[in-house]
Amino acid sequence: MGKRNVIVLSSSEEDENGGGGDGSSNSGNGVRSRSTNRISSRLNPGPSVTTSKPKKRARRRISESNSHPDSWNVELGSFDALCEDFYDGFQEFRKVAGSGPKDKSELWVDKYRPQSLLELAVHKKKVEEVNMWLKERLIDSKDKLHKHALVITGQAGVGKSATIHVIASHLGASLCEWKTPTPTLWQEHMHNLSSGVHYMSKLDEFENFVERIRKYPLLPFNTIGKSMKPSMLLIDDLPLINGKQALGRLRKCLYTLVGSVQIPTIILITECARVDSSKNSARDWEDLLSSLVNAGACKMSFNPITTNSVKKTLSKICKEERCSVTVEQIDQIARVSGGDIRHAITSLQYFCLTPSQLLSFNTIHSNDKADEFRTSDDGFALSFGRDETLSLFHALGKFLHNKRETVNIAGFGQDLLLLKEKFARLPVKMDAPEKVLYQANVQASPVADFLHENVLDFLSDEAVDDAWTVASYLCDADNLATFHGSLWSRTTNNQEVDSISHLAAASVAVRGVLFGNSHPTQSRWHAIRSPKLWQAEQLLRRNKNEMVRQRNEAYRELISSNISVMATEYKPMLRWLGSRAVEAPLVYMEGLQDCQIDKDTFDDTKMDDVDDDIEDW
Amino acid sequence: MLWVDKYRPKTLDKMIVHDDIAQHLKKLVTEQDCPHLLFYGPSGSGKKTLIMAVLRQMYGASAEKVKIENKTWKVDAGSRTLDLELTTLSSTNHVEINPSEAGFQDRYVVQEIIKEMAKNRPIDAKGKKGYKVLVLNEVDKLSREAQHSLRRTMEKYSASCRLILCCNSSSKVTEAVRSRCLNVRINAPTEEQIVKVLEFIGKKENLQLPPGFAARIAVQSNRSLRRAVLLFETCRVQQYPFTSIQAIPPMDWEQYVSEIASDIMQEQSPKRLFMVRGKLYELLINCIPPEIILKRLLSELLKKLDAELKHEVCHWAAYYEHRMRLGQKAIFHIEAFVAKFMSIYKAFLIATFG
Repeated sequence: MGKRNVIVLSSSEEDENGGGGDGSSNSGNGVRSRSTNRISSRLNPGPSVTTSKPKKRARRRISESNSHPDSWNVELGSFDALCEDFYDGFQEFRKVAGSGPKDKSELWVDKYRPQSLLELAVHKKKVEEVNMWLKERLIDSKDKLHKHALVITGQAGVGKSATIHVIASHLGASLCEWKTPTPTLWQEHMHNLSSGVHYMSKLDEFENFVERIRKYPLLPFNTIGKSMKPSMLLIDDLPLINGKQALGRLRKCLYTLVGSVQIPTIILITECARVDSSKNSARDWEDLLSSLVNAGACKMSFNPITTNSVKKTLSKICKEERCSVTVEQIDQIARVSGGDIRHAITSLQYFCLTPSQLLSFNTIHSNDKADEFRTSDDGFALSFGRDETLSLFHALGKFLHNKRETVNIAGFGQDLLLLKEKFARLPVKMDAPEKVLYQANVQASPVADFLHENVLDFLSDEAVDDAWTVASYLCDADNLATFHGSLWSRTTNNQEVDSISHLAAASVAVRGVLFGNSHPTQSRWHAIRSPKLWQAEQLLRRNKNEMVRQRNEAYRELISSNISVMATEYKPMLRWLGSRAVEAPLVYMEGLQDCQIDKDTFDDTKMDDVDDDIEDW
Repeated sequence: MLWVDKYRPKTLDKMIVHDDIAQHLKKLVTEQDCPHLLFYGPSGSGKKTLIMAVLRQMYGASAEKVKIENKTWKVDAGSRTLDLELTTLSSTNHVEINPSEAGFQDRYVVQEIIKEMAKNRPIDAKGKKGYKVLVLNEVDKLSREAQHSLRRTMEKYSASCRLILCCNSSSKVTEAVRSRCLNVRINAPTEEQIVKVLEFIGKKENLQLPPGFAARIAVQSNRSLRRAVLLFETCRVQQYPFTSIQAIPPMDWEQYVSEIASDIMQEQSPKRLFMVRGKLYELLINCIPPEIILKRLLSELLKKLDAELKHEVCHWAAYYEHRMRLGQKAIFHIEAFVAKFMSIYKAFLIATFG
């Protein structure tokens, strides 16, 4: 046994070190090297008593990796034979190698995929909820419940699919999945065309699939020799939609599916775009979700996994892998993961892998490199962690609330340049404003608009000077953002100039607000309004068009005058002549009341325009 | 029909105001080929009236038969084709457009549309080649690029086409364009001239004007003849027969600006600034140009201000007016001016009254 282990380990070690040099030229190729492993373990017939169970598990795994859009082995059917072979070997290898302490041939995410309800890191109540729902439909399906669809939403990596898989196996149900077709590349498409295969959009395929599901209930494949197992349908990966029309089709398709499906159907929606509420995609998904709920689907949302349960899982894995990771490190990994357990586990694996891997490499070298590791070890937090994304409102909140340290502890830059009393500010309690902007992923001009709209609420009542400082910086930002138009519009790479001046504008706006607000009010709750400027601009445009129209139609004699004269002289007069009884300034109020209604319709029409453009392309 | 249009002098001979300029123009047009013309002067001084009269002098009554068209022009701008929609006002011999309505694409208008128009030369009855007149309004609002291409057009098609440019301030027209035109400055009419016009209209309408009434309108009109006539008509609708103490209704937006000014004087705080912003939005929404708002606001504020501060406040108003033209979001700049004013005024109050 021990000997076998040695063989296997060395071969796996080799291919991870990039083909240590044992003559096998293509040992970098995963399949190839693993089949070597298989051969090496097949030399010893002992452990190759494979049961069917792990095989099945392997299958499921591959179907799961199918659900991931960019997985490399998607076309299961064509590779079936190969895969079976491969997985036979792989399974054996796993049995053998898995007993060793350092199995690095597999991602820990897959290796420690939860197998039982207890292992799930998802909150127990949530799991129980889903479990109950499924049980109701699967076991006691005698009473005809007509709601057979469940929509689960949540961030990436909160264990949506894992929960479903575990519960399915727990209930002994067979899980049928919608297998996302491979995205077609242009070259492939050309190739296919020449061989007579026509392109089919993924949405079309999905529609076909739904159609089939509705018309022909799932055939019990496994009736022969086994008891009839209840089956359920999992749609993990909805096709990508682009544009309003596609959204409409998908919505309709899902709507009918939810309405007519006879077996429990679970639809998973990853809320990737939730943080960035300004994008239309987020709106589309919300739209879709609400229509699903309207169709009678039951909705559950998974929250990000708590730091504690991520930590628990991580330490369990550490124990099993016998890697020495301190509690603080685990703690840190868990914290930066942002509730994404898949990411946390991968980070852990990466973190455990690198030092030992490289250290073993380094034994040959002098120990100065070992020092390097110690230093890199200290700063390990930098090497992983999800890039945080902030919502626009979160970022605005940071800027507007302007939280600062109470004392100047660091005193950085103090010795370099001595600032006058009135220019000195305490250090801010956040990252550099530019970094926050980057995380929030917003453009200069909306940021300036939002800040402009809201900043006055955050100034203390006495601080008019501050108000001026802020306003003047916002002016600067506006001018910076417009800067490109006049000066460099002719240069070839004005795209770049644009983006630089916009970055500068955003930075000036934000820093101006931070600097200017030197007497922030007591922090209390403020609603952040959306800029009224947008409504105003919209209304202005409408009024202007209206005025031009009027000028052209009704008052032919006014034709020679321009808009500003119309607005400042004729209009008030005509208004006065028209409605002498009414106090004149009231007309302004009318305009503003329209605002609210208008805003919505405006948004819609704007979206329409954008979508149409995309459709045309 | 409004009196403004009804009593607009149709020919150069009938001019009451600027009759000297009118006579010069008449001589210029009748005796020789006329050069490109650039009319400039404040709003309501009679530029448009003069231009129309000049056209009539050139082409006779046919110049008044105009039709309004909303034309879409396809302009080939390098990689793509732009569709520009523009309102034109044209007779057989002249076309009037307002190129700045095309916004930042105005240079295409100037380059392409004017070029196209200039190329189509009309042929008069005697088979002689005449020339067309292009009237361009608001030339000072054209972008720098557009003004440059305007210069080229003027040179290239000067044989077939005359341009009559019209703007409020010649300082915003480039030197190159100005030097290619005969510059005609139209002053704002004096108050006496306005009174004369009002009395003329009053006589035509058979109205009894109490003494001093026309003078009061003239004062209120800010030396804009257009406004004076409009005010006059408003007063007529409001109350007739006129009384000498009759109130002359102010423009509603001006009233609104003076409300804003008193708001600002009353209290200086971020809250008040926010309130003022709301009112500014309302003005902007109603198409009152931001420059005019700023100007009006400044004059309202200056009325109530200590002489000591006037200089500084004017400086900042000019500063922000300039910035406003550089930027896009007028409200930011007007608001910055208001904030600066508040800050100055508050400091002043504290210094004087403790």
